[in-house]
Amino acid sequence: MTTVTAALEGYTQQLRNNRMGLWLFFISEAFLFGGLLVTRFYLWGNTRPELDQTIGLIVTAVLLLSSFSMNMAETAIEHGDRRTFLGGLVVTAVLGLVFLIGVMVFEWGLFPAIYEGHLTPGGDVYGAVVFAMTGMHALHVISGIIFIAIVWNLGRKGGFSSERHWGVESCAIYWHYVDVVWIFFYPALYLIGTVAH
Amino acid sequence: MTLWSLGLVRGVVGQIVGFAAGMLLVIVSRLLFGLDPVWNEEPALVGGIIIGSIGFLIGVGALTDWFQWMRGIETPLHHGPPHGRPAWTRYFGVDYNHKVIGIQYGVTGIIMLGIGGMFAVVFRTELAASGFQFLDPANYNTYLSMHGWAALVAILLGIGGMANYLVPLMIGAEDMAFPRLNAFAYWINVPGLFTLLMSLGYGWDGGWTVYPPLSVLGPVGYQFTFWAVFLVGLSSILGSLNLIVTILRMRPPGMSLFRMPIFVWAVFATSLIQLTATQFIGQAFLMLSFERLLGMGFFDPNKGGAPILFQHLFWFYSHPAVYIFVLPGLGIISEILPVFARKPLFGYRWIALSSIAIALVGFLVWGHHMFTSGYGEYLRVPFMISTLLVAVPTGVKFFSWLGTMWGGKLSFPTPMLFVLGAISVFLIGGLSGPILATTATDLFLHDTYFVVGHFHATIFGGFVFPFFAAIYFWYPKITGRMYDETLGKIHFWLMTPAFWVMSIGQMSVGVMGMRRRIADYDPALGVEFGHLLVTIAGFTIAFSVLLMIYNLLHSAETGRVAGNNPWRSRSPEWQIPSPVPEHSYASPITVVGEPYDYGIPNSTYVRMAPLTAADD
Amino acid sequence: MNNSARTKAYGRSAMIALTLAVLTIIEFYVAISLDSAIFLMLIALFKAVIVVQAYMHVSRLWSPEGEH
Repeated sequence: MTTVTAALEGYTQQLRNNRMGLWLFFISEAFLFGGLLVTRFYLWGNTRPELDQTIGLIVTAVLLLSSFSMNMAETAIEHGDRRTFLGGLVVTAVLGLVFLIGVMVFEWGLFPAIYEGHLTPGGDVYGAVVFAMTGMHALHVISGIIFIAIVWNLGRKGGFSSERHWGVESCAIYWHYVDVVWIFFYPALYLIGTVAH
Repeated sequence: MTLWSLGLVRGVVGQIVGFAAGMLLVIVSRLLFGLDPVWNEEPALVGGIIIGSIGFLIGVGALTDWFQWMRGIETPLHHGPPHGRPAWTRYFGVDYNHKVIGIQYGVTGIIMLGIGGMFAVVFRTELAASGFQFLDPANYNTYLSMHGWAALVAILLGIGGMANYLVPLMIGAEDMAFPRLNAFAYWINVPGLFTLLMSLGYGWDGGWTVYPPLSVLGPVGYQFTFWAVFLVGLSSILGSLNLIVTILRMRPPGMSLFRMPIFVWAVFATSLIQLTATQFIGQAFLMLSFERLLGMGFFDPNKGGAPILFQHLFWFYSHPAVYIFVLPGLGIISEILPVFARKPLFGYRWIALSSIAIALVGFLVWGHHMFTSGYGEYLRVPFMISTLLVAVPTGVKFFSWLGTMWGGKLSFPTPMLFVLGAISVFLIGGLSGPILATTATDLFLHDTYFVVGHFHATIFGGFVFPFFAAIYFWYPKITGRMYDETLGKIHFWLMTPAFWVMSIGQMSVGVMGMRRRIADYDPALGVEFGHLLVTIAGFTIAFSVLLMIYNLLHSAETGRVAGNNPWRSRSPEWQIPSPVPEHSYASPITVVGEPYDYGIPNSTYVRMAPLTAADD
Repeated sequence: MNNSARTKAYGRSAMIALTLAVLTIIEFYVAISLDSAIFLMLIALFKAVIVVQAYMHVSRLWSPEGEH
């Protein structure tokens, strides 16, 4: 076997190992987010707090859009289109930031001058669970944005190619995972149950 | 060679600096947010714990390569001892070789076993006679709680040691799938155990189960425990992820899943539990930490919360956790028995799948820890039934072990003695299980010493005895020398009868009414003599372990040279030199037969050469 | 690089995003008109499966497509 083929086989082997490792991490984290959902249903039952539905729809739309831009970025590097790749990453990160600001201002009420939130973490279980779920999710959004920033920086220095871009793939599927979590958290927080708080 | 060249030293400095930085960060944040009082001890300490742990990891060097990758710099995997420093220093810093990491895990595990055991020796001395001799209820409770978590951390470390050292060797692999992650997963335990030990300074009294409301209202020592467990849990998750990928993707040609050494099956089943269930205790402890810090009322009825929710979340991890503790050890028993019976492992496929069955059914039984909690009555019988069910795959192992030994040419060097000791002790523990699984009897035995007897016997039988068996068995492979057989036998014959006495003693005083987690008892109960026996047994076990430590250290210098395969095992790691070279396998191996065909003529398991065209 | 393959890939990406948007709108109207937690979680599951396969290409774990 030539050294080139051997090197490629070694790369493919490592790539598939990496991919399996990341998906196992997703399975593990599913138990974390699942546990938060269990907590929500145990403590709230078929009730929920009053949250602003417009905000809910907006932040959900923003996150879904960010998955679109992220997929565009990943598709772009697979086809060697550097401009769309880098641009897609920037758009995704910006949308992620918009999501975070939306949550922090309009759900957490961190800036009462702009918006007066009525839930606090120490108030009652409605506040506690909202802050726990959105807080844990936000941690993953923040780390996702940092991941994107690192990949964008490596990308603009030419670090990825259409054949080798595990860094991009891993960043992308991590971001989509964060979106998948929100796909379940959104109805759990905003849509299911009768308003009780 | 300076002290600063040791990763561990840099890590400790990093933890101290990080701790201070974390406290400062919290204080400044409180200032900026206009919170009053600015200086509030607890949030600052938690900030210190978190940033201190990160500081340790940076200091020891566990993050260095990844930081380089973020800047686009490639970092080839360094093999071998560090340049320009003595070889032993590699054990005190970041090393990527799984054998080194396995030893690091194992030695740290033995140290924690010693620390956890010491806490027990202290409070058992107090408990040997009624009345207060030298402890008071507050520090008694802290010592018993610390004994709990220190011992559990020791078990997780010991399991990590066995799995990391053995699994790549057993599948003929160069190393684990993710060597840097492996090193990280080891090192994150160290700030974790430092944090746990720091909790002693403040005290915490709720037992290892740290139920709220006590754990929310009690001293700040609780916070140290929550975060220590969080760190150790993260190690569990990352380590198991590594093992699963390694086992699924790095086996040699011819090694189908049913041709792996049986220990690898055990580790695989264990890893499935560790990967998933651990998140629940991480979450539960985070919730406790934040209920204390921010008043988030998850478990506070005044805010609409429920203390029972904690118990559900906690036990959803902690029951499967006990299968994490025992599955690897039961795998060790299956691994070692055929070698000293010179017979095939009876029912290999059944044993392999029984580990998976235990792992899966183990997720369905957590409610048996809560029969007296006041949860819905309708939950009791289903949990009783599922719990009794778990005895079935466990029984499969027992009968397979009997089948393996029956008609075999048995010999009894120390590893085999400890395997037989493990079986006897696990049997005692296992037989006391259905009594606790049955709700009616559990209502009387819950929170008594009967439970203490049950879980010590199952844990010693499922982990401690097999761990010692493994240490003696693979010692020649690791060091190239034989341990002292006489000392090994003395260790066994002191420890095993002592442990039987301890188990029966604990169960007896429990049945007579001795409660758990109390610093003193009424002599009228008639349990004083039982307690004295248990304490003496405990001292004897501790002494016997010291003998083992002496044996291991002394034999490294003076033991007889062992050669490649003193036990005449068929397993791959015994076909290579002892001690194992840096690159374990000079060439890839091929599996051409069954692993446990001992005594069957002309049956080879492994060929120490790669696949050729002729093999097709 | 093949431009038409690229354009098709971008188009696919957009179609999936559109599908997710439509499903979200349906989800919102189901929420305000019906009182069914199960139905909402089922829609959520459906959206998640779409993202997991179409965007996260989970099938690369076991298919030959995952070679690069």
